[in-house]
Amino acid sequence: MDMARSEEQQMIIDTVRKFIREEVRPLEADIDPDGSEVSPEDTERLRQMVKDMGMWQMSVPEQYGGPGIDLVTRTMVAEELTQHKAGLYAPAFGAFGEAPPAHLYDATDEQKEKYLYPAIREEKRHFFGLSEPSGGSDPARAIRTRAVRDGDSWVINGGKLWNSGADTADFGIIYVRTDPTKGRQGITAFIVDTDTPGFKVNRLIQVMRVYHTTELSFTDMRVPHSAILGEEGGGFALANDYLARNRIPYAAECLGIAQYAHELAVEWSKQRVTFGEPLASRQSIQWMLVDNEIDLRTSRWIALDAAAKAERGEPFRFESSMAKLLCTEAASRVIDRSMQIYGGLGMSKDMPFERWYREIRIRRIGEGTSEIQRVVMARDLLNVRSGS
Amino acid sequence: MRIRKEWKPWDPSVDFKKVPGTMGVYEIADEQHACIYIGYAGGTSPHGLRGELYRIFGMPPGSETWNWSHPQPDGIAPELRQRARYYRLEENSNAYSRWVECLTRYREDYDDVPELNHDARAPRVPYLGRYHWKSEGI
Ligand SMILES: Cc1cc2nc3c(=O)[nH]c(=O)nc-3n(C[C@H](O)[C@H](O)[C@H](O)COP(=O)(O)OP(=O)(O)OC[C@H]3O[C@@H](n4cnc5c(N)ncnc54)[C@H](O)[C@@H]3O)c2cc1C
Repeated sequence: MDMARSEEQQMIIDTVRKFIREEVRPLEADIDPDGSEVSPEDTERLRQMVKDMGMWQMSVPEQYGGPGIDLVTRTMVAEELTQHKAGLYAPAFGAFGEAPPAHLYDATDEQKEKYLYPAIREEKRHFFGLSEPSGGSDPARAIRTRAVRDGDSWVINGGKLWNSGADTADFGIIYVRTDPTKGRQGITAFIVDTDTPGFKVNRLIQVMRVYHTTELSFTDMRVPHSAILGEEGGGFALANDYLARNRIPYAAECLGIAQYAHELAVEWSKQRVTFGEPLASRQSIQWMLVDNEIDLRTSRWIALDAAAKAERGEPFRFESSMAKLLCTEAASRVIDRSMQIYGGLGMSKDMPFERWYREIRIRRIGEGTSEIQRVVMARDLLNVRSGS
Repeated sequence: MRIRKEWKPWDPSVDFKKVPGTMGVYEIADEQHACIYIGYAGGTSPHGLRGELYRIFGMPPGSETWNWSHPQPDGIAPELRQRARYYRLEENSNAYSRWVECLTRYREDYDDVPELNHDARAPRVPYLGRYHWKSEGI
């Protein structure tokens, strides 16, 4: 299999790399240690530069006005975009634009008008609402939020947990039980406006990353039948598809901060002298750096392979789970080793490591935990459904 | 180090979603731009910095329909609510230790913590050591 970059891919990567190094990283000197935003003027300036580069909203297909860049190239770019301190959760400070959830491309015309186009224009923000207090790993069984049909509308009661961005979103895609007798076929996806009466953000949940999550409740929240996304009862399949697709860029993003951590560690090992010799001359340090390199190269390969399979329209669920598992765990190890090489300075808020160290930990939980990725892979491998 | 930001007037018409919901520290100033209170939004603050600022400055008219559980001003000194005009904030996941640091910095400069931080819940604010030094704008 040839994973060499095409000339066009190399050009795109060089452009993004230069942009991150020369335009984004310098701005971090002036923001809070956990800050995720730059000034409105800088934000606008960066966005304009990205638009001029023709890379605004990379994942938006051409027929919707985007550049329609393929998934393999986007996976490569995702790794570049996060290579700065705030990069994992605020890549390039949002300069490349926020893409709408992919499922809206298959929504009804009415839903596209109401949600997809405003999301592409960045007039509306969204959240993804699958997990509940009863559990996120096994939503088919855990979802308790209930929607009951009442004429031409549905009345939703229950709540969701951990939904990132719900407190600032204009709408969300929530997965609720419409038929309790049908198991996974009884789950339906609804698009709900966050100003619908009965929708409430109970509290924000602060976590290890600076970007919080939310606890939501829905009390007699009435939504029209037309708010159903896809088929009634088709919500579980939609959520699975969404997660499988999302895992590939999610994985590549982790490699970005790990790559940057590794580069910093290589530089530092050459500069820092102990016992009369640079750290780089010590075998134990060299091995840490080599292990970093092995972790980065192997997991990058797997992420690109998953992207290539998805792009070719082949089954890719196994590969996307493997990429998510390997990249998140490899990146955690790389950041940990790089931090070790930096010694005390690695712990300080003057350096990006401590922030990455906290943030990368979440990546082994979000979008399906490491264990759940193994469950997904084992199912494909053995063709059995675990726990049933 | 102080919070290195300019004072901002509280604008009740601002979109509440634009006020960060993260953990962090904040300073409140009165009409004369004098810092009267340093506070923080810690890990269990229900709406982060956003919630803390609304607790002090109050919810504006029309906010009844906002889709979040409205923060209550319990525990906020009425005097702080009356005198608060300006604020500045810093997002910081080490909110508590950064809060103590800001109080320490302030006391080094002004020989006391801000006047409305004199309450029973104030932490033990450490001294910066025998070389008493002013921040000189740091
Ligand atoms: C910061 C953050 C942001 C998030 N954002 C969102 C969001 O935007 N939208 C959303 O819907 N959700 C979100 N989540 C939720 C996330 O997807 C869930 O936390 C995750 O899926 C795990 O679910 P759980 O926490 O309920 O753990 P559980 O499902 O209770 O699992 C607990 C532990 O048991 C393990 N486990 C479970 N089943 C098995 C098994 N069969 N075999 C072996 N081990 C198993 C799990 O791996 C985990 O380690 C977010 C979570 C966090 C922390």
